[in-house]
Amino acid sequence: MRQVSLLTLVGLLLAALLAAGPASAASALVLADETPPTTLDPAADNSDSTCSVLANVFDGLMARDGKDGKLIPGLAERFERLDLLTWKFYLRKGVKFHNGNLFTAADVKFTFERLSDPKLSKWLETGQSIASMETPDDYTIIIKTKTPTPWFANNLHQIFIVSKKDVESRDLGDVGVKPVGTGPYRFVEWVKGSHLKFAANEAYWGGAPKVKQVELKIITEPATRFAALVSGAVDLVAGVPLELLEQIRKNPKVELVTRPSRRSIYLALGNKPGTPLADVRVRRAMYLAINEDEIIAKIMGGQAVPAAQIPDSACAGFDPSLKRLPYDPEKAKALLKEAGYPDGFEITLAGPNDRYVNDARIAEAAVQYLNKVGIKAKLDVKPKSIFFPEVSGGEKHQFYLLGWLDGAYDSARGLMTNIVTYNKEKGSGGWNGARFSAPELDALVDKAGVTVDLAERDGILRRANRMAQDQVAVIPLHYGTDLYGIVKDRGIQFTPRPDRWLVYKDIDKK
Amino acid sequence: MTSYIARRLIQGILVMLAVTFVCFVIFRFTGDPAAIIAGQDATPRQVEEVRQAYGLDRPFYLQYLFWVAHAARGEFGKSFVSKVPALGLILERVPATAELALTAALVALGLGIVLGVLVSLRPRSWPSRLIMAGSLAGISTPTFLMGTLLIMLFAVQLGLLPPFGRGETVTLGGYWQTSFATWSGLNHLILPTLTLVGYQLAVLLRLTRAGMREVLNEDYIRTAWAKGLSANRVIFKHALRNVLIPVVTMSGLMLGELLVFSIVTETIYQWPGMGNLLLTSIYESDQPVIVTYIMLASIIILSVNIFVDMLYAVLNPKISYD
Repeated sequence: MRQVSLLTLVGLLLAALLAAGPASAASALVLADETPPTTLDPAADNSDSTCSVLANVFDGLMARDGKDGKLIPGLAERFERLDLLTWKFYLRKGVKFHNGNLFTAADVKFTFERLSDPKLSKWLETGQSIASMETPDDYTIIIKTKTPTPWFANNLHQIFIVSKKDVESRDLGDVGVKPVGTGPYRFVEWVKGSHLKFAANEAYWGGAPKVKQVELKIITEPATRFAALVSGAVDLVAGVPLELLEQIRKNPKVELVTRPSRRSIYLALGNKPGTPLADVRVRRAMYLAINEDEIIAKIMGGQAVPAAQIPDSACAGFDPSLKRLPYDPEKAKALLKEAGYPDGFEITLAGPNDRYVNDARIAEAAVQYLNKVGIKAKLDVKPKSIFFPEVSGGEKHQFYLLGWLDGAYDSARGLMTNIVTYNKEKGSGGWNGARFSAPELDALVDKAGVTVDLAERDGILRRANRMAQDQVAVIPLHYGTDLYGIVKDRGIQFTPRPDRWLVYKDIDKK
Repeated sequence: MTSYIARRLIQGILVMLAVTFVCFVIFRFTGDPAAIIAGQDATPRQVEEVRQAYGLDRPFYLQYLFWVAHAARGEFGKSFVSKVPALGLILERVPATAELALTAALVALGLGIVLGVLVSLRPRSWPSRLIMAGSLAGISTPTFLMGTLLIMLFAVQLGLLPPFGRGETVTLGGYWQTSFATWSGLNHLILPTLTLVGYQLAVLLRLTRAGMREVLNEDYIRTAWAKGLSANRVIFKHALRNVLIPVVTMSGLMLGELLVFSIVTETIYQWPGMGNLLLTSIYESDQPVIVTYIMLASIIILSVNIFVDMLYAVLNPKISYD
């Protein structure tokens, strides 16, 4: 008797709960992304996932247009490069931070000064590249760099300006969880590991955004992200899992939106004298041995585009005439024989297994292709938290898989960091873990560094990229595809950005 | 009794020291945080600066001693990734995990005992056989699979329950975010609880059944039946009480584990709890958070076990600790 009434009670309770239905806010835009921001203090993180969130709460001196990534004015209306080392910015007047403070040049100076502190900044390279800053008046700032830095202005879309008065009045921990910026959205709440909430900044200098409430849910598990999309619990999902692509295409309730990614995946090579890789014929043989078209078709599900160089088409110095060397295992074997390695040699391909889409599987495939032409290749994949320090620490791996996206839209950056000879004093080759070294290439990149004329510089960088291919400094594989899912019939207007950021003011929901 | 508790506490502190020391040994092999903290674009010299600023250039045993010295003062270091105190980071996640763990523990315990008793009374009936088969499935299905299947079935196919998250929560006292105050919070709790409960329920069910089967054959039970006592009194007052000791032990271990190691379930359901934080910190080599978490985990499990030991004395007056 007691059991029956207990059962009835439980049954009624369950019915009531199910009737409540999956939660969905009516007028807010709900997005899901795969990686949470690590902090909301702009100086403390430079990863894409954090910048993507911060871009809604803050502004940089410059910004990037959502369609093609062109550099457009932000908090600076315009700028001039006065000479090789000096940049002058004319700042926007009448802009207020979310707490009411007026935006002035002092805030810009403070923001950049913070970037040089090793205990809090992840933008050390940017911060320490600045020699001096002057503010002749409240709306002008003149920045001098220590060495000629042609991409300095190109980087400013991701250096977000904070309020000097606000940051100085608060504890560092608080600054990291309650951001105060000038951006189109003001911060409302961050429940770590769950979601972030934002509300429209009606007083935004670029015009009040259309969508008034935005919620960003973080879902790290791919299957759960998929479930969130098809159950309608969110309006838009960034980072649709590749394995579930077919399910999404077949589902009538959701729409797939894609955009070629700016990130290129490539295999880095060393050329240390005395090793097989020192011979360019060997490196070229390895390039020819890999069937990239098959990798794209079978492993990337067709969602990738072959790459012939590290920078993407939006970067200065990208050479559109460069084409990937075609797959040719016979020629590879011939080259190996010519170089004196008819029976191949031993080599290990290292790489991350939790950073890029299908990174471990791509590396595995590459190893198999190499073995097919007689090179005894082995695989060594590991989590990125172990692999990346091994690469930046240098010397351990002479052949590894890496991805590169130039946030500064300038191929000189990529070349300097990944291919130019490692030089601790000069600060070059930070990610050149294979220690590839070609002095002629270094010379070209140096020359581009002191060239002021943009067109001339672009030409020099194109030559550098071509030389990188002739010398087979790396084996470029492909650019991936950014995949998004949108729930239909909710009036969502969304155009993917080249940098894969989610900028809410550009997304519309009826 | 007090000397017993004091001894257990001292043992507990030794265990904590040993476990955290092992963490520091392992950190030598889990990657260099300085490179990660300094960032992708940092030059080698800048990485070195960061390494020195964080004291990561010292040998691991020195790092450990510094950590213990600070820990004794209540300073557990700041997260490398988000620069906020590690302890605070973990504590703000406690309500989410605590509510999920307690709900799962209560459901598993309650249902486990009730079903275990029912099954022991009529072992050969078809409902009993069905329940036992179900418990086998519960024990052998990995949490990851259970969670994904439940989401696919209830959230995607049937659209009855939400696929992730905590839903709307209400903040009590400015700190404790509870799921229990809103329907939304409660119905977000259902699937994660079911996922966690699958294994625990099956174990408790089988344990109760085995215990009951043994006890129901004892002489004093036959006497009770012969005396004409009601079924409820015989089963619940006399038999079950003696079965409870192994069940309570199991629940204690279970609660401790649910509180600190529900990592997989929290990750699948994007539940903003402590386990989720631990996993993220491991991927990011966030050493202060990892070691603080492990220390907290040992404290929680130790406390739960001491509490369970004390409960024995209540359940069985013959047990005393001196």
